[in-house]
Amino acid sequence: MVPLLGLLVLWQVVVWAEVYPSVLLPSPGKVAGAFGQWGGTIAANAGASLLRVLVGVSLAFAVAVPAGLLIGRYPALDRLTDWSVQIFRAVPPISLIPLAMLFFGIGDTPAIVLIFLSALWPLLINTIFGVRGIERTLLKVAMAARAGELLILRDIILPAATPSILTGLRLAIGGGWLTVVTAEMIAVKSGLGYMILNAQMTFRTELIFAGIIVIGAIGLLGDQAVRLLRARVCRWQDGLVSG
Amino acid sequence: MSRFIECIGVGKTYAAKTGPVEALRGIDIGCSEGEFVCLLGLSGCGKSTLLQMIAGLEPTTTGQIVVAGRELDGPSPATSIVFQDHGLFPWMTVQRNVEFNLKARGVARAERAARAGEMLALTGLEGFAERYPHELSGGMRQRVGIARALTTKPRALLMDEPFGALDAQTRGRLQGELLDIWERQRTTVLFVTHSIDEAIFLADRILVFTPRPGRLSADVAVELERPRDPRSSGFLEIARALRDALGTEGGSE
Repeated sequence: MVPLLGLLVLWQVVVWAEVYPSVLLPSPGKVAGAFGQWGGTIAANAGASLLRVLVGVSLAFAVAVPAGLLIGRYPALDRLTDWSVQIFRAVPPISLIPLAMLFFGIGDTPAIVLIFLSALWPLLINTIFGVRGIERTLLKVAMAARAGELLILRDIILPAATPSILTGLRLAIGGGWLTVVTAEMIAVKSGLGYMILNAQMTFRTELIFAGIIVIGAIGLLGDQAVRLLRARVCRWQDGLVSG
Repeated sequence: MSRFIECIGVGKTYAAKTGPVEALRGIDIGCSEGEFVCLLGLSGCGKSTLLQMIAGLEPTTTGQIVVAGRELDGPSPATSIVFQDHGLFPWMTVQRNVEFNLKARGVARAERAARAGEMLALTGLEGFAERYPHELSGGMRQRVGIARALTTKPRALLMDEPFGALDAQTRGRLQGELLDIWERQRTTVLFVTHSIDEAIFLADRILVFTPRPGRLSADVAVELERPRDPRSSGFLEIARALRDALGTEGGSE
């Protein structure tokens, strides 16, 4: 919290010193006022952004986790897909905005497609990584028990990979959040990204600042939510790993 | 002669980067039903590999293995294996861990729970059913491993240095408990160890292996009354014979 408070003080000092004209750099008090003045607008746009991320990341999760479990489990699938995964994940999703607009126009669809793509790779790669990290003795136990493949995937591979999957989810939500704000500045007419770009054009800098604060806060909350989820779901890891 | 576990000319060769490595050569051993047999050898003599092959977890390169009258092509339902690093699923409670082998066989929930409860009682684990493996000591974890192996009522228990990672005291206690269980359940036990004392304390018969390539070098019957006293002259005599059979490097403890 100390760096944040320091930044706030510095901000106020810079405003008092009038380094920039107040239309460019509003005071912290004015930005706080913007939350009251445009509270409804901010909430509506934040809701729109959140919903897109939720849909995009959920779709990515539904595709990447099963695919990752299978790729991690079966070396033949891994060999088949390795290069494609490496190539596609090297493409920043933001660079696909022009294509997404050509194919899907302006609106929710291109944004969700882009979020899906930015969430897909971290989820897929971390799932595969989690499956590969499984202790070999555990697979031998399953084999000796003559467990069926479905039971092995559900009761052994999936739980073994869960900590890593949730790490992937954290990265996916972070990446999805970055992508949604960017996409909304270009390809969508609502959301926090659109709101701050629009505020710039209408010269409401205090709303830009308010928007940035909300973007940061939601990003932080999303990350913390997954951390809490991980601590709950992976309680069995206590004492196995530190931190 | 019909033996419960029979290895005929079993060999194993691994493909390594530097060329093929022969881990085992020409192993002919047998084990009668109800017998407690130890596979004794220094590390690298292939005794664990042999056990894994008998468990059906590794294919043989040459020869064949017969378990319960059937040539092996995968794990036999008549055997259960216990690993040195216990192989418990860290995300499952003790109860669910013990039930796993039954679940793999499609046994219904109620029966699974009942059978697991029985085995938990047998191994002194009552009251620990809802714990997670990381909450248990090494000795307790291995008891869970043994309880899990026993749920399917195996005719042979295959044990791969199960007490190798435990401290001497815990190890001694578990050896005693294992003999108790063996006497009550009358299962065949095939037990891998590198400890001469452990082998003599437990086994009816000790098969000694020497490395490079792994070969059977001696087959020693232990006809001492149980419980056996490691300071008795009979015990020491067999220990000396085993040390000779193991070769110049002597036994490891």
